[in-house]
Amino acid sequence: MNCREKSPWIVHFNCNSCNGCDIEFLACLTPIYDVERFGIVHVGNPKHADILVVSGAVNHRNVRVLKNVYEQMPSPKAVVALGACGATGGIMADCYNVLGGVNQVIPVDVLVPGCPPRPEAIMDGILQAARLLNVHQKDRHAGAEVRLTLQPVSEPEKV
Amino acid sequence: MHLYTFLSLLLIFGPLIFGLLVMLAPGWRYKTPVIVLSALTIMAGGILLALQGPFTLSIDSGLMKALPLIELLILAIIIYIGFAIKKMLIIGLGILQLAIGLISDMLPHSVQAHVPTLKVDLLAVIMVLIVSVIGPLIVMYAIGYMKRYEVHGPEQMRSTGLFFFFLIGFLGVMNGLVMSNDLKLLAIFWELTTLCSFMLIGHDKTEDAGESAYRALWINSLGGAALMLASFLSISASGSASLDELVAVGSLLPLALICLAAFTKSAQLPFQSWLLGAMVAPTPVSALLHSTTMVKAGVYLIIRLAPGLGGTRMGQVVAIAGAFTFALASAMAISQSNGKKVLAYSTIANLGLIIICAAIHTPLAYAAAILLTCFHAISKAMLFLCVGTIEQGIGSRDIEDMEGLMRKMPITTVIAIIGMVSMMMPPFGMLIGKWMALEAVIMSPLVLFLLIMGSALTVVFWSKWIGRIQTVAYHPVYKIEDVPFSMFATKGVLLLGIIAAAAVVVPLFKRVISPMAMAMFSETVVTSRSWDLMNSASAFIEWPLFFMLALVVPVLFLVVRGIKKSHIRQPFLCGENLEGAKTTFEFRTLMDKGESARIRSYYLNPLFGEAHLTAWANPIAIALIFIMFGVISK
Amino acid sequence: MIMIDPVITALLAIFAVPFIGAFLVGLDRKLTARMQSRIGPPLLQPIYDVIKLLHKEPIVVNRVQIIYAGLHLIFMVLCVVLLALGQDMLMALFILAFSTISLILGGMSVRSPYSRIGSQREIMQMLSYEPILILMLVGIYLINDSFMARDILASGKPLLLSLPLIFPAFLMVMAIKLQKSPFDFSTSHHGHQEIIKGITLEYSGPFLAILEITHWYEIFLLFFIITMFWATSIPVGLLIAAVCFFCEILLDNIMARLTWPWMLRFMWTVALGLAVTNVLWLYI
Ligand code: SF4
Repeated sequence: MNCREKSPWIVHFNCNSCNGCDIEFLACLTPIYDVERFGIVHVGNPKHADILVVSGAVNHRNVRVLKNVYEQMPSPKAVVALGACGATGGIMADCYNVLGGVNQVIPVDVLVPGCPPRPEAIMDGILQAARLLNVHQKDRHAGAEVRLTLQPVSEPEKV
Repeated sequence: MHLYTFLSLLLIFGPLIFGLLVMLAPGWRYKTPVIVLSALTIMAGGILLALQGPFTLSIDSGLMKALPLIELLILAIIIYIGFAIKKMLIIGLGILQLAIGLISDMLPHSVQAHVPTLKVDLLAVIMVLIVSVIGPLIVMYAIGYMKRYEVHGPEQMRSTGLFFFFLIGFLGVMNGLVMSNDLKLLAIFWELTTLCSFMLIGHDKTEDAGESAYRALWINSLGGAALMLASFLSISASGSASLDELVAVGSLLPLALICLAAFTKSAQLPFQSWLLGAMVAPTPVSALLHSTTMVKAGVYLIIRLAPGLGGTRMGQVVAIAGAFTFALASAMAISQSNGKKVLAYSTIANLGLIIICAAIHTPLAYAAAILLTCFHAISKAMLFLCVGTIEQGIGSRDIEDMEGLMRKMPITTVIAIIGMVSMMMPPFGMLIGKWMALEAVIMSPLVLFLLIMGSALTVVFWSKWIGRIQTVAYHPVYKIEDVPFSMFATKGVLLLGIIAAAAVVVPLFKRVISPMAMAMFSETVVTSRSWDLMNSASAFIEWPLFFMLALVVPVLFLVVRGIKKSHIRQPFLCGENLEGAKTTFEFRTLMDKGESARIRSYYLNPLFGEAHLTAWANPIAIALIFIMFGVISK
Repeated sequence: MIMIDPVITALLAIFAVPFIGAFLVGLDRKLTARMQSRIGPPLLQPIYDVIKLLHKEPIVVNRVQIIYAGLHLIFMVLCVVLLALGQDMLMALFILAFSTISLILGGMSVRSPYSRIGSQREIMQMLSYEPILILMLVGIYLINDSFMARDILASGKPLLLSLPLIFPAFLMVMAIKLQKSPFDFSTSHHGHQEIIKGITLEYSGPFLAILEITHWYEIFLLFFIITMFWATSIPVGLLIAAVCFFCEILLDNIMARLTWPWMLRFMWTVALGLAVTNVLWLYI
């Protein structure tokens, strides 16, 4: 439905990011970019949100948090992964504690490239994810929704 | 024997005899059926009396001659108690009462045939109904409670038989109190309630209990002395003393003395300490003292005397004193975390509210006073029974410890929540009463202001408490509590009573209480304003309220049913929820340790702390009492 | 409005009011955005939001929550209906209070620290504004000799002239009710991340939509009361309401949030003082 595209509420989760992506994301909220004109509201908690915006790579410590946050969002829901780290782990990929990109853990709908991506790109990514919400809603009604099991993928190796 | 005579004898002396039987019955096997039977008999008697309607009864003068002797006996017991517990204050008050009693007996007595000894008007019928329907329920609750208490209670406590004797006897004494019109007779019953409460509060025989019982005795003896003095003044003025006469003559000094007596009994500021102390007793005692007997005696007297108070300066001061109590007791309740103490303060506040309504004395206020008396009795009885059950279940009466009670004792919790909701929310009677009270006091600014502040404060402590006990964890496992049948059933009956009362409150008001108030005021001159208020209250359209509720309940039910297990998610804890946590306040901290968050309620101690609020409230309340006497001379 | 058949009036109140409320919320967001030199969302944004929320998955922490959300809405609607029917204002205010209490209890029924804190703050807000609302009614009664809304609307002289001090006190109450700074402690329109929306945190999907719709009714109610201060001529009343609305939004944008003890102290001294003073001279 149209209303879903017009009011994507987002929750932002910082997974191990270097803060570059976060700063650019927050820039979207400033008067210069003003995401609210698209109806986008940055709500602070997953229970109200439609879109989960994740910055940074997933590591062993925050994987559970990421899953919990995702699980606590009501469907239909979409995920936007910011930056190179969000996509593959980026420059952090080879760290001992890093699992990789966000899609290792939860289903990602939109990858926004860049290190960090520009605010315009982030906005574009969120709006594309908002359009995908309609698809997810159809899936939900068809019973083809992705559900997570809340077990940690693997224990961190003892160093 | 006429039915009236039989019923009044049954309701007054029956409980004493039943109590004796229970005391003599050996062991629970015999006690239980005797208790249940006598409770049911009292209940039946009360209902029969209500169906029978108002009546008056004159006892012949020969019997009345015996009254001074009985009085002497009771006072001798009080003085004996004073010696036994070595308190000069009690002995002094006892001797003072004895002196007043003897002097007034010496005065020439003219027994007037047209003044009945027992007068059961509509108000008294309502009171009898409250006492002898809710009271027996509490007595039956006590069966299960005392069985457990015998095991867990303090070792040196008195025997359970004695406990039941006073508990059941109390009902008879209270029935006598609300029926009697003769002041002498009234004073006797008054002293008897004091004695009963002394024995019941002191039941545990611990140091605390002894102290509280002593306090209850001396404060109430003070009230007894005031009552004796009032009857003495009345006799010396006109040769005989009855409530009717007192109202008709309208001389203010005896009225003021009776108000003082009522203040002590209803635990108004500055006499609140005895009721707060009384919570050391087993819970059925608190339930009885707070809802049907004892404290209700005070407000009953003031409602009875209201025609004499209405429109006088003294009446205004009484209303202000009541309002002061209402606001301050509500404020103090906020700072309390002890559940029973919160209930006690709420009782004190509500009695203050009833006193305001009685003293303002307009048709609307009168109706409000009666409504509040009824609904307060039933809700408070149920709440105390719930707290008693909770206390036995979790071993604490602290509200903070009641966190997550819903999981441990779901049934009791739900009943308690409904009870608390009935104290403040529509469509229950307390709210209607409060609403009418607010409209009734509109012309006295100070009372109104105190009432407004007080009613804002009451909401705070109730919602805090409800919030604390009702929390339900994520995927809770309910454990249906193991509660004796008697404790469970009586609460169930009271719950049904509350719901039924809520359903009939509007018709009850329109059919019974409103005509009652109208009849009361048919002769007196009432300003057109107060009639207008009464009429607009009677014309209140209730259908949107009921229509909405009828619409919502099924819809909500369907929605709740529609929630599937998969829709239930953990609460938000920044994603750090601990898997498999029982209470969902648990979250993961550093080093993957589990830790539990704990959110205490606001108690606002610096603002509403009991100690420092009492420190300046009591002097003001004492000053108000002096002012009450002072305005008489003006 | 009051002359028509009561059933029609009641239905009108139930179905038309939320749209007015939604429009006002939209206007609020737009104006706020302009004050922050942003473009802001479309005017109908609140309606989009609510429709979207209604279609989301109904997730809850426990089922008790839902009952309280329902009661919150119902009591609010009932309050609006009572006013529209010209009924007793005091009763309407009580019912308004119960709507808020239901919200508080809903917030407390979940074992979530954030919503618990939010609920407790909401209690404090109620404590601070409730006496003022009732005092306002007392003032109105002293002028009109009636608690009935229909008598107040029919009275000949504007209330504002007799209640000049109660009016600002009411505006402060309105700021609390509209969740405007400096009084937005339990939840806020703007600080979405602060105590994570507090009392509404654990409501999501359709249940959040219910809270939002209730808020629309509430906003209409507040405007109704403001307009009532100049009921003799509706355009003037509306103008006053519009000016007040603008001032509230301005205040919201230039003020910081303070603490709740501050709010309690402020409301019980300044606002209550104003209201009491005003009522006192009406008595004399
Ligand atoms: S993508 Fe670049 S800016 Fe973003 S978190 Fe990774 S390293 Fe930082």
